[in-house]
Amino acid sequence: MTAYVIRRLLLFVPMAIGIVIVTFCLLLLIPGDPAAVLLGQEATPEAIATLRRTLGLDQPAYIQLFIYFGNVVQGDLGQSIFQNAPVSEIILGRIGATLELAIVALTMSAAIGITLGVIAAMRPGGIVDASAMVLAQLGISMPVYWLALLLMLAFAVMLGWLPAIGRGEPLLSAFGMAIAGNPAPLLDSLSHIALPAASLAVNSAAIISRLVRASMLEVLNEDFVRTARAKGVRRRQVIWKHALRNALLPVISVIGLRFGALLGGAILTETIFAWPGLGQLTIAAISQRDLPLIQGIVLTFAMIFATVTLIVDLLYAVVDPRIRLK
Amino acid sequence: MFRLRLLAATAAMALATGIAGAQELVIGADVDAGTLDPRLARDTTAYRSVNLIYSGLVHLTSDLEPVPDLAESWESPDPKTLVFTLREGLTFSDGSALTAEDVVFTFETILNPDFSAPQRGLFTPIESVEAVDERTVRFNLASPYAPLLSYLDMGIVPSDYDGDLSTDPVGAGPMVLSNWSRGSEIVFSASDSYWAGAPAVKEVTLRIVGDNAARAQAFEAGDLDVIQSPLSPGDIKRLAADESFNSNLAAGLGVTYLNMNTSKPLLADPAMRRAFAMLVDQSTIVNAIYEGVDEVANSIILPSSWAYDASITQPTFDPEGAKAAFAELGWSDSDGDGVLDREGQKLSITLSTHSEDPNRIQAVEFLQATMQQAGIDAQVQISDWPSFSTGYVQKGEHEIALLGWLNIVDPDRLTYNQLTTGAGLNWGGYSNAEVDKLLEEGRTALDQDARTQAYQKAAAIIATEVPYYIISYQGYHLFYKKDMPADVTANPRGTFRGMIGMPG
Repeated sequence: MTAYVIRRLLLFVPMAIGIVIVTFCLLLLIPGDPAAVLLGQEATPEAIATLRRTLGLDQPAYIQLFIYFGNVVQGDLGQSIFQNAPVSEIILGRIGATLELAIVALTMSAAIGITLGVIAAMRPGGIVDASAMVLAQLGISMPVYWLALLLMLAFAVMLGWLPAIGRGEPLLSAFGMAIAGNPAPLLDSLSHIALPAASLAVNSAAIISRLVRASMLEVLNEDFVRTARAKGVRRRQVIWKHALRNALLPVISVIGLRFGALLGGAILTETIFAWPGLGQLTIAAISQRDLPLIQGIVLTFAMIFATVTLIVDLLYAVVDPRIRLK
Repeated sequence: MFRLRLLAATAAMALATGIAGAQELVIGADVDAGTLDPRLARDTTAYRSVNLIYSGLVHLTSDLEPVPDLAESWESPDPKTLVFTLREGLTFSDGSALTAEDVVFTFETILNPDFSAPQRGLFTPIESVEAVDERTVRFNLASPYAPLLSYLDMGIVPSDYDGDLSTDPVGAGPMVLSNWSRGSEIVFSASDSYWAGAPAVKEVTLRIVGDNAARAQAFEAGDLDVIQSPLSPGDIKRLAADESFNSNLAAGLGVTYLNMNTSKPLLADPAMRRAFAMLVDQSTIVNAIYEGVDEVANSIILPSSWAYDASITQPTFDPEGAKAAFAELGWSDSDGDGVLDREGQKLSITLSTHSEDPNRIQAVEFLQATMQQAGIDAQVQISDWPSFSTGYVQKGEHEIALLGWLNIVDPDRLTYNQLTTGAGLNWGGYSNAEVDKLLEEGRTALDQDARTQAYQKAAAIIATEVPYYIISYQGYHLFYKKDMPADVTANPRGTFRGMIGMPG
């Protein structure tokens, strides 16, 4: 098991190299010069040329790539062109917010998705099943952007129950404060994260619920379920304990993949709810052609995703003892 | 008795919190500031933030009039010299004295090409800046430069500061930076070192909400006290009609225009550019696409300017006239395929703009439809701002591009660098000796009458030769809650001094 984890971690290295090269080539392909963007519309060609030299952008592409690699190996992701600060510092300052949002959204979508899926599978073709699946279809079809604005309009503007934008205290430290006897920051944080997490979760919840339903229907037809029923185990226990555990196997890998989708969805959600995470930063970095920052963000997203995939694989072994990791 | 005392205490507490709450202001912004160094500021949020933290020699009022700020007075002994006298006892927020040396340092760094100041081009007519004594600064100009005063609201920075001004700013303005969470919010607090005293509002928070619709909703939900342009026309209409908010809808300092590339053979002839201009349905673009929040333009001079002349007119929408003009230039549909042609060549044109602004995309697509109806094979090319601006228009690869200019505090700002022969921002390669001469005159003439004359003559030529076709004068829209902590003076540049109890 340990050897497996180490081997998987070592695989990160070639993956990271590949990602850096691919991102770099993509950035070369999109037109738009960071020096010119930095100087704004009123910059003269001479001023742009001077700044290009200062930023090292006048070097041939392969040399720029070479220099970048050299720095990354030493743990230096470079300096953001626009923010005048180290890329690693900027990303570290933001990553917490994005992970928090993605994890809360994932938990929400898993809880809703699994419950909805199981309930639907209990009486396939029934009215409950039909309504659950209509709901899921709606969830899948609704664009995040639209849903986010709609939720904001309903809960912040019209009802005034929740704040429209921003983030409170980080959830972890808010939990700490709540345990220490001060629940106010936790309530504030939860009220801030509710709308962005919900709008991010809906799509994944819908996908998960459909998958759980299908998987459950398959498992419920298997012999061991019939045996359990025949032995007189109560229906509720058969469904939630025997069947669900087996049905969850394919669902877990999808939940892992959804995490990647949530990170992607966070780009829109964060922009709308002014959530100070990596998603918002990504948009800004791309629109400014802040090359070192874009590289750093892509690399970070890739690392997060690779780690989640690894965790999913490890979870497989926990859920299904027949699977041995080698 | 006890109950009464309790009541009184509660009332006093409520009053106290009420006042504390009233001295704070939360303002919505569309982008984060890139830097808080005034010399390097390039985005609107940075301009507006440094305007609070720093002060310039002059302050530009909402009527764009330069009034004394750090300088108590100035004089011009000859047309090429400008001498400023600083106020007595000026200090930066860190307590150090602000002297003429700091003014010299500020402008010397801006003029240094290696410093890459975005606004360097506005100051290049300055030959040198010297400190005559502690409180006197002399600007020596290469040639008379009338617009200079309007640009001298540039924040003065300390010459002997060890830190990084872009992140740890030290200025002599009415507020200081108290916290900056990148991408999320910038918090300012009142400075007690400003020469005019501390502002009434004790804390200003700029909250960054990138999405225009979300920013408007956050304002309606009460999360923001103030929002301003850029906003989508739909939101502007709705908020303006809402009695529960105050609004200020005024002429802005920007234009939306068509940049016609005169260096492309097809557009080299002014008659050809005029014919295309006759196909621009300004009123539909302004009133339908922009829902009337902007104003139909008639020339390159803004209505807010002292040089404005309503009688100068560009070609107006006239499809029949355009058809006749094209026919006169030899373009006709000789093969009957519905597209005009000349000597076997089809009349094709590429219209372009950037993807960030849905209204501009709509305007370009509408323009395409009008042109296609007139028998022109019009194509549309849309890409994101960096690709469009730096990768396309600024390289002079466009044919007709729709874009904008902002911050036109002086007619010079929209003309000299854009339309004189070979100037740095003359992406369409326009050249007209008469216009060159007039624009030179406009920036060097000493009295405003002479400047007005020069700009009006130049604008008339530009309106007939159409290297630029000005579609609209952009509006400036500001919305704020009813119970603001101080009286509000809206400044078309979107600055905040007029909201914190200082002259706007």
